[in-house]
Order: sequence, then C-alpha cells, then structure tokens
Amino acid sequence: MTQAVISVLGEDRPGIIAAVSQALLDAGCNIRSVSQTLLQAVFGALFVVAMPDEVDEAALAHTLTAALEGLDLDVIVHAYPAGAAASRPHAEPFVVTTHGPDRPGIVAAVSGVLARYGVNVTDLQAVFEGGDRPEANAMIFQVDVPDSVSLAALKADLASAAERLGLELNVQHRRLFEIMNRI
Amino acid sequence: MLGKQEVISTLEMLKYEHLDLRTVTLGISLLDCASDDVRVFTARARQRIETLAAALVTTCDRLGATYGVPVVNKRIAVSPIALVGAPFTAAEMVEVARALDTAAGNVGVDFVGGFSALVEKGMAAGDRALIDAVPEALATTSRVCASINVATTRAGINMDAVLRMGETVKATAEHTAGDDGLGAAKLVVFANIPEDIPFMAGAYLGVGEGDAVINVGVSGPGVVKRAIERAIEAEPGIDLGRLSEVIKQTAFKVTRAGELIGREVAQALGVTFGVVDLSLAPTPTRGDSVGEIFRSLGLASIGAPGSTAVLAMLNDAVKKGGAFASSYVGGLSGAFIPVSEDLEIAAAAARGDLSIEKLEAMTSVCSVGLDMIALPGDTSAEALAALIADEMAIGVINRKTTAARLIPVPGKTAGEHARFGGLLGEATIMALPHGSGGNAFVRFGGRVPAPIQSLVN
Repeated sequence: MTQAVISVLGEDRPGIIAAVSQALLDAGCNIRSVSQTLLQAVFGALFVVAMPDEVDEAALAHTLTAALEGLDLDVIVHAYPAGAAASRPHAEPFVVTTHGPDRPGIVAAVSGVLARYGVNVTDLQAVFEGGDRPEANAMIFQVDVPDSVSLAALKADLASAAERLGLELNVQHRRLFEIMNRI
Repeated sequence: MLGKQEVISTLEMLKYEHLDLRTVTLGISLLDCASDDVRVFTARARQRIETLAAALVTTCDRLGATYGVPVVNKRIAVSPIALVGAPFTAAEMVEVARALDTAAGNVGVDFVGGFSALVEKGMAAGDRALIDAVPEALATTSRVCASINVATTRAGINMDAVLRMGETVKATAEHTAGDDGLGAAKLVVFANIPEDIPFMAGAYLGVGEGDAVINVGVSGPGVVKRAIERAIEAEPGIDLGRLSEVIKQTAFKVTRAGELIGREVAQALGVTFGVVDLSLAPTPTRGDSVGEIFRSLGLASIGAPGSTAVLAMLNDAVKKGGAFASSYVGGLSGAFIPVSEDLEIAAAAARGDLSIEKLEAMTSVCSVGLDMIALPGDTSAEALAALIADEMAIGVINRKTTAARLIPVPGKTAGEHARFGGLLGEATIMALPHGSGGNAFVRFGGRVPAPIQSLVN
C-alpha cells in the first residue's frame, strides 16, 4: 500500500463528499483522514488515502477525474510515503490574533515574522468582512512556538509588524482558550 | 483546533470586559517563626517572606503575559499575627506590622494581610495587644491589612470584641484623619472568616493551612454584565432561569482562567495551589462594576426594590458556575458590593437610591457585607459596634461569611465626599440614623450564644 493525498476544490453544493468518497471506494482506496472546509462559496477538501498496490498516482487521478466528471471539481492526486513528516523540535501551542483594518499584505507581514522565528502555523483563519470596522477583520493563527524561541522577542517583532499595519495583535498560549471554553 | 468563536469570545472578555486575574495571593505560614523576642520574630518573618515571595511578582507577570491575562495584584497573606506574636505588647505588635510592610515592599506586592486575630469566643493576651496596636499599625504602614473575626455560627458573637472593634475602627480612622480615615479601609471585622481569602483586606493564612499556598482571586463583573446584555438582546422573552444559566456559564469560564494561571504560578514557585476565589469584585472603573449588573437586569438602580432578589440570584449563579469549574473554590466566592470601590454603587449611594439599610438587607445574600462604607465622622464607637453586631448576626444566623469595613470619615458629615485613592475609590458619606449617640445594647457585653441549628424558619 502507498499513501496519497488528494485535494478537491470547487463550487460548494450538496453531494461532493458523497461523490468523491464513492469514487475512492470504487478505486479500492481506504480513506485515512479527511479535512474539509468552506471558504465563502468554495468547497475545499484534503483526503489522505491508502492506495492498492496495483494503482498508481496517475491511474487514481484518471479514475477520479472520470468519476467526478460533471461536478466541475479540480482534483489533484499526490503520492507520498507514510510517515514522511519531518520531526520537529518540541514546541508550545500559541494563538496569535490580530484585529484591524483590512489592507493588502497583513497576512504576509505576520506570517513572515512567524516564519523568521521557525514558528509553524498549524491553523489559520482570516475573516476580512468589516472594511474599516476593525472588530470584524480578524486573523487567528494557531502556531507552534519551538522551545528555543524567545517568546518576548517574537512578541516584540510581531508587535512592531502589527503597529506598522495599524493592527492590534495578541499572542496567548492556546491552553487558555481550551480551558475556558471546554469542559 | 480551536473554533473561531472560542478565540474571539475569550478575547472580547479580556479586551472589552475587564477580565483579569484580580489577585494572586501567596499565603505564608509564620507559625515556626515564633519567638518571645520581637527582634528575632521580625527578622525571621522578614526572611521567610522575602525568600518565599522573592519571585512572586515576576512569576505572575511572566505567566500573565504568556496567557494574555493581566495579574493585576500580587499579595501576601500570613498567619494571624495575634497568634504567632502572642507574647508581644501592643507597641511590639506595631513593630511587627512595620516589618511586614517592609518585607511586602521589598518583594514588590501592594498589600500584606494577616495582621489578624480570631476572637469569636474570647480574647487572649496576643489578641488584645494586636487589636490595641491596629490604629497605629495601619496609620504608620501602607501595605498592611488587618482583619478580626468576632463571631462564628458555632461560637456566637463575642460582643466584648464587637464593642472593642467599634472603638478600634473609630480610632483607626482618627489616626489617619488627614487621609479621610484611610486606615479604617484596611480593617475588616468578620463573622465566619474563611481561612483562604485571597482578597484584601480580609486575607490571612489559616492555621489549618500548610507552609505556603497560592490562592487566586478572579473577578469579572464586566464580563457577567455583557453576557447578560448579549443574552437579553439575542433571546427575546428570556427568563431568569436562562439568565442564571448565562451567569453560571460565564462564571465557569472566568474561574477556569484563574485556576489555570494560579496553578502555574504555584508550580513555578514550588508551593501548593489552594483555591480560586471567584468573586465579582469591582474596581472604580466604568464597565468593571457590580452595580451596573443591576441595571442590566432591569432595575433603575442598585438599591431599588428587587435589588436583594437580583443579588441573591447573581451570587448563587456565580457560586454554581465556579464550583463546576474547579474542585477547589474557596475564599468568599460570590458578589462584592463595596460602596467606594464600585463607581455605580458609589453613585447610587450619592443619589440617595441606595441606603445603608438596603445595603444591610443585601448583605444577607451577598458574599461579604457592609463594605467600604463612608460614614459621618461623628459616628460613635458604640454605633459602629452596633452596626458591626447587626452584620455579624446576619452571618452567624445564616451560616455565611459577613464582614464590616466601615470608615467614619473624621471631620466630615453625611453628603460630603471621601477619597481613599486607587482601588479603594471614593464615596459620598452615607447617613446613619442614630449614629452619633450612645448605644446601651452593645454595652451589655458577653457573648450572643451560638444559634440553634434546627427549627430553621
């Protein structure tokens, strides 16, 4: 068995998950994990599947494209070996949030600072709906800060990036949000 | 992964609703510092405090920054000084207070509690010396807080101690006449005092506690007020059962935040974690007021008819939410109604919407008592004692903590203004009917017997 990751993108409508999972079943694949999201009206999903030995990346892509014809979906298949994730240094989970006016470059500026410190973004949600209403423009980065990173230095650099962009920025350990909101 | 709403609602509490960790209080036992030589005792006590609390402020600030939750106050509570300093004279007790003040200043905390005596059944030599020392001790220190427990449900009310405290409150205010009687704002008289209060001025480390313990006081009247307002906006026709539920859920969240940081501070300092005291403790800041909650729940003002019922519901819901959030909830846990420390309560008192009689009624269901009430300077010691006795009776009969923190403002009369500064706030002086005359009742002395525990009607 080899492993593949399949991305599916298209206009949202009922039945996409059903069609894709049926096509994967018909191709002999076993779904190991799925993550699906909706961004405005766009459907996006990643499937990690185990492929039968006799199926390769190109053949699976061909099968899926044929099976999903008419649904107007972009499907990409990538084979990748199981356990390929690189080992990372021990890190603490933090949440970086920003509020402020929408303008080009704010995601790049904040994520640029994170990248410089080797801070891995594990989840990013950004909502820009408020124009100049800062409370309605929010970015929520869930990140892993390696133990070797100085939190004070990271915070200072994030704060100065935020200040240049007129953003209010907070960096808080994730445990606070979990413990306050979950039983 | 966290949901967007989980992140945003927590941030709103911190940013707009004044959620913070009101106090992290390090309790320090001084029992084994005892000596009959005051110099030996004060040297040992200072060393103990300055060693154990050396990293308290920096640890709280570091963990507060990690979670983005400000730890507003860092404080120390010590064993009752009347007990550990039992051999000392009143003058020596003042020296002890000054040593505590110095130690507290050296470790950077704003208050140290425990200049305390437990005299609900009788007064020993150390208790008498400490109470005699209170006026000078509180006038010549800035950080020391005193608390005297004069009544319990099991012992009854020590009326000799109550009268003495009436005199002591009066003398303490007079010793700080230039500051509107500020000394009396650092002196509380209790019934059924808990051993683990982190809030001042009532914090001390109980004799049943260990060497050192972290107790935290979480607040959040602004968070509760906004949660109530949001629920009323979102749910037309919402009833009080649902509103209680909203308050419970809010109290749960606030308690969890406090316990998280309290436990981490305790771990970092290598001491035991004690309790979370979930109290709606206001500050003199708009949006951080218990009084404003009464308006959110439909009353024209705190003090209007319905106020006792609102407070009863609020206090109970806060306790229920807190008790579910943490297995170690203690201290006072409920709603505070300190007049000068709460902008809206102080304003209601100034407008005449809130009388001292209504406040007293409300204390039968709140978590403390007659708190931070500025009274005319000519209030007699006997009238103060009688008012304290009333408040103690409410606690003793209802098996709850009650307290009196009364400030007879020297040279001022009802309607004039008193300023205590900082978190202690400011208030209009309230009228106390029959306040300037004698009171033969409190002169009878002796002990009001402990109440019957059956036939409860």
